[in-house]
Amino acid sequence: MRRRPGIGGLQTAAAARDQYRLLGENVAKLRTDLMKEQLATFRSQLEDFARKHKNDIRKNPAFRSQFHEMCAKVGVDPLASNKGFWAELLGIGDFYYELGVQIVDICLGTRPHNGGLINLEELCKLLCQRRKSAREAVSEDDCLRAISKLKVLGSGYEVISVGKRKLVRSVPTELNKDHNEILELAQAQGFVTVEEVERRLSWSSGRATDALETLLDEGLAMIDDGHRDGKRRYWFPCVSSISAYVGAETM
Amino acid sequence: MQKLGDFKLPQFFNYPPYFTLQPVKDTREKQMQLWKELILDYCRTQKIFIIEPEKEFPLFSNPAIERSLSHEAREVFLSALVSEGRAEWMDKGHRKCLILWHRIQDWADLILRFVKDNGLEDSVMTIEEIRSGTESRGTELHEIDRTVLMRALKLLEHKGKLTIFKGTSADDEGVKFSV
Repeated sequence: MRRRPGIGGLQTAAAARDQYRLLGENVAKLRTDLMKEQLATFRSQLEDFARKHKNDIRKNPAFRSQFHEMCAKVGVDPLASNKGFWAELLGIGDFYYELGVQIVDICLGTRPHNGGLINLEELCKLLCQRRKSAREAVSEDDCLRAISKLKVLGSGYEVISVGKRKLVRSVPTELNKDHNEILELAQAQGFVTVEEVERRLSWSSGRATDALETLLDEGLAMIDDGHRDGKRRYWFPCVSSISAYVGAETM
Repeated sequence: MQKLGDFKLPQFFNYPPYFTLQPVKDTREKQMQLWKELILDYCRTQKIFIIEPEKEFPLFSNPAIERSLSHEAREVFLSALVSEGRAEWMDKGHRKCLILWHRIQDWADLILRFVKDNGLEDSVMTIEEIRSGTESRGTELHEIDRTVLMRALKLLEHKGKLTIFKGTSADDEGVKFSV
């Protein structure tokens, strides 16, 4: 286009810019509206689904877990708040808050015995024992979800993986790699000896003793000098199932 | 669950490290608590009044896991009971320990209730009658240890609830209640 000089030219250019912007805005608005509509449809469908399967979601742990997975995929967190539609509709929020409180209770109750580290399986078993009267079954997945909600409290509830097992930590102790390896080793028999740690992990004697002493100080291990071979054994209540019974007794 | 006669043993009894004195304070406190409760429970249900730490005692070893308490551990647990008033060493060498699953005061209360339940408020009874007579059968006083009984009776005498009188032999010792 030939350049048009003068004030008229400038005005035309400005008018054209305005026109373009207006058009752009219209297109954007159209898109947003469309998006909003889609979201609304989606939301109502999800609500319908949740309403329809309310009982399944409440009672069937496997179904509940799948529902959560689906929600996570589309970016909805039914646990994000206790208020609002999801909690009201499903009562899911309360369910997990209740579990959370019970988990804290169990962790505190068994802490003197296991030093604040408990097998997830064990925790789940204790939780079920305690909720005998409640109608809903509780799965490990539910425990994990409830624990993830506890993180908000900043009290250091965390799930750590040691070997094949998951352990729930309720004390702020940091376990380093050495400690984890020892715990993993201990899973086989429930205990380890210094000698075994040195041999199986190819550690120096000092390294093994150091790590074991720390675990002992943290209350995660107990010594046993009573075996005939005279070798000191370090037992880990968090990997043996005994914690269930000792814990249950005192609660 | 493992049993000793009709006594149900707690699960910790099967966990080997509980038979070794724990070096870490918190763990040890928990360990002592469990053992103290076990000893008192066992003695109460089995009516055992005296434990001799140097001798065999069913609680002090668990053949199933091949563990037994060291002499030190036995003494530590019993001493912990002593410090709580739930036991007393009977000699300086700590060879015999009197287990008070009821404190002397509680035994005295039990005697008073026994007296009232049987309308013995002004009666005379021998010590042996209290321990093995028909009236006490089925109560906790039945086959009570003589030392414990005498201690409780002396406490009551002190309070003016009864008078202890001596006969010609120990068998003749008796009390006159005046509740």
